[in-house]
Amino acid sequence: MVEALKSIPIFHTLNRKEIREVEELLYERVYEKDEVVFEEGDAGHGVFIVVSGRFRVNPSHGSLKSVNLEVGPGESVGELALFDEGPRSATVVASERTVAVALFQAEFATLLMKNKSIGVKVLLEIGRILSRRARQLLQDEKHAPTL
Amino acid sequence: MTKIPQPGAATLVVVVLVTTLLLRLFQEMIWLVLPLLLALLLFYTLRPVVDALAVRGMHRETAAKAVCLFQLVVSAILLVLALIFLSRTGGSQDSLTRYLAGGQGLLRKTAQALERVAPLAKNLHLEESLDDQHVKEFGDKFVEKNLLPISLQLLGWMPSVLLVPYITYFMLTQSGRFRKYLIQSVPNAFFERALLLFSHLDTSLQSYFQGLMVLTFLEGTCLAVGLALVGMPHALLLGVTAAFLAWVPYLGSIVGCVMVVLVAATDFPDKPWMAYACLGLFLAVRMLDDFVFMPMTVGRQLHVHPLLSVLMLFLGAAVAGATGLLFALPLFGVMAVIGETTAQIVTDQRLRARYRASRQLAAATGG
Repeated sequence: MVEALKSIPIFHTLNRKEIREVEELLYERVYEKDEVVFEEGDAGHGVFIVVSGRFRVNPSHGSLKSVNLEVGPGESVGELALFDEGPRSATVVASERTVAVALFQAEFATLLMKNKSIGVKVLLEIGRILSRRARQLLQDEKHAPTL
Repeated sequence: MTKIPQPGAATLVVVVLVTTLLLRLFQEMIWLVLPLLLALLLFYTLRPVVDALAVRGMHRETAAKAVCLFQLVVSAILLVLALIFLSRTGGSQDSLTRYLAGGQGLLRKTAQALERVAPLAKNLHLEESLDDQHVKEFGDKFVEKNLLPISLQLLGWMPSVLLVPYITYFMLTQSGRFRKYLIQSVPNAFFERALLLFSHLDTSLQSYFQGLMVLTFLEGTCLAVGLALVGMPHALLLGVTAAFLAWVPYLGSIVGCVMVVLVAATDFPDKPWMAYACLGLFLAVRMLDDFVFMPMTVGRQLHVHPLLSVLMLFLGAAVAGATGLLFALPLFGVMAVIGETTAQIVTDQRLRARYRASRQLAAATGG
């Protein structure tokens, strides 16, 4: 599992000891093809990282429809739930039998408080992912502001 | 951090009923519940230390072993000190009769003073009713009827109490894996809600137990300092013992207060003001406890309405006596979180539909 986690972008800057600490907080889930992971409007409580298989993202919001709609191994969905518990902005369904690991918001917050080194590294990677997604969104806008 | 959900009216009734039934069950299984509760208390008190050591590079199991060993050594030292103190104070029956006689002396002096100040009090013949024979008989009967059975019961609990360090060590090292194991059996549809429930439970219990320890420390310090200022011997021991006795709501505080007043009345028979000062100190600390310490620590963390707290204490005492008083509030806090989260899951149509769909998919794929 340590090697699998190390290959995930969010965790790739962590050393083996840090990965083991994070592993304690991850919950492995298996989703069958077409099984709903979460629905748009649900209160979000954590991020799901794909280990094997694929998730399909189905947003109803117009501006979100242009985002890459499939996420594969190493990619994640629901990162915003790590920062607030607002409603999910899209429905996520497994495109095939998918193994994912979930990181729960409350435990992530505790980890940040306990081990700031892990916190900084993981937050930086999540920040990069969110920034990349924001840029991707704005590329399709006519008068995109500079981020 | 999410706000801990508060139960609705219907859920509240169910939660109160379930808590009451569990309290009854706890009374029957106190030999098992007590070590578990003590282990939980130690777990939530020691976990921050183990976490801090783990962050500084120590392996989690080594950190847990070191902390548990330290706690064992401290407990052993305290036990030896308590045994030495008890052996110096003499036999239990003799001590009890002596302290009761001291208390009787104080009451007699108080009655005399009352009769001098208020002549109407003479009609009540307070002083005459306090004869030595009554006290001797009460002391003998108390030892025979209560003290011996309680001592035997405590001895019977010893084997299970010896399990406390082992359970604590298991909790400190394996709680994460145990939680993962439990969560594994939760269907995907309810996964996030189940995690939320565990998080709320963990937060509630941690807040309660850490609050309780802080409260005990504050109360113990105030009493010890107050008793030392009054001039009582063994102020620290008496203060700390009274603070631990206060874990049993209301009853514990009264027992602690009576214990210290009896000691003051016996050790200082010519200075009744010492006993009154101790009584005053306990009343002052009680007020501080109720209006400052408790809201700052346990009460604020448990999120239980004061009226409901009192109701649960009465119910707890009615169905399970002292056990009910001791467990009513923490158990109610935990059951309220479980009840509300379960109610949210049961009444959420979307989650239930998702669960049914997942089952159909699993059946179709042979999962």
